[in-house]
Amino acid sequence: MADLLTHVLLAYAGCTILNWYRPIPTHWISVTMIGSILPDLNRVTLIVTNRTFEAFLDVPFDIDALSTLGGTVILAGIGSMVVTNQHRRTFAALLAGALSHHFIDGVKAYADGAAGTWLYPITWARHPTPSLYVSSDPAVLTVAISVTVTVLVIDRYAIQTA
Amino acid sequence: MCLASRITITIILLTTLGGLCVHYDTTYDENWPHPPGEQLQKQSPEPFVGERVLLFGEVQTVNADAITIHVTDDNDNVAAELEVTGIEDHVKPGGVVQVYGVLESKTKLHAEQTVVVNRDPSATIYKLGVSVAGLLLAVAYFFRQWQIDFQKLAFKPRTTKHDPEPEEVHHRG
Repeated sequence: MADLLTHVLLAYAGCTILNWYRPIPTHWISVTMIGSILPDLNRVTLIVTNRTFEAFLDVPFDIDALSTLGGTVILAGIGSMVVTNQHRRTFAALLAGALSHHFIDGVKAYADGAAGTWLYPITWARHPTPSLYVSSDPAVLTVAISVTVTVLVIDRYAIQTA
Repeated sequence: MCLASRITITIILLTTLGGLCVHYDTTYDENWPHPPGEQLQKQSPEPFVGERVLLFGEVQTVNADAITIHVTDDNDNVAAELEVTGIEDHVKPGGVVQVYGVLESKTKLHAEQTVVVNRDPSATIYKLGVSVAGLLLAVAYFFRQWQIDFQKLAFKPRTTKHDPEPEEVHHRG
């Protein structure tokens, strides 16, 4: 995973660019940013370990399923149930954020050249990765901040939105 | 959508999510093409000698021509201690590496490709700290745009003058 700040910033930048073509109200941009966090909710293991879940439920359990495509679709579904209305739009915004997270993580470095099993449960296949980065490299965040600032400057000074 | 429907659907989705976590755990090892920590622990690395494997490990010691790593299982117990040769990248004890290479013996791995996941413990702390900042940013921005409707027990957009949006129309009964 790239760090979460990178994911959140790039989700924001992506929404800002889409907004040039079709207006996106800011409250939907904020939902997309929340969506970009969803695949990393498996990091709850920093607080509650898989072993605790297993002891409690008495079945084998791996919370890493949350950072797969299937896990995030269900999480987006749950998220769409905590709003008063516009459930479908909430689901779409959350899923869009989560997919941006998956795509960014899909090009991170693996020593054997194949990405993680994030396409589960559709397939266990690991697609080839160009191994562009490791998450602990500050250059990743530097690029994310640069992209976001550039997009915001263009948005502010060069784009006329209705 | 009424509260009862939302709660019902949420319970169904949470149950499905739990099922997915169980299925993921029970089928992961047979679908991951490399020996997972659990197998190294149960069988020792012996059956995999001569194979090309991808392993994640925490760096224990660093010498001129080799490092030792601890490969852990899902519960962070040490499953195997391996001496890794052929590492060109700079790492420190406490760092985390991915090593892809041939397991030459029960305790020796020759790296063909390595990825330094965390150079040292400070890299881990950096990643965690920046991620917490990202989490806070997203949550803070969300609460600037949304508020809790305590009657309906749900979030609703904060009403703004510029941004009146029609509520979703339900055509179906």
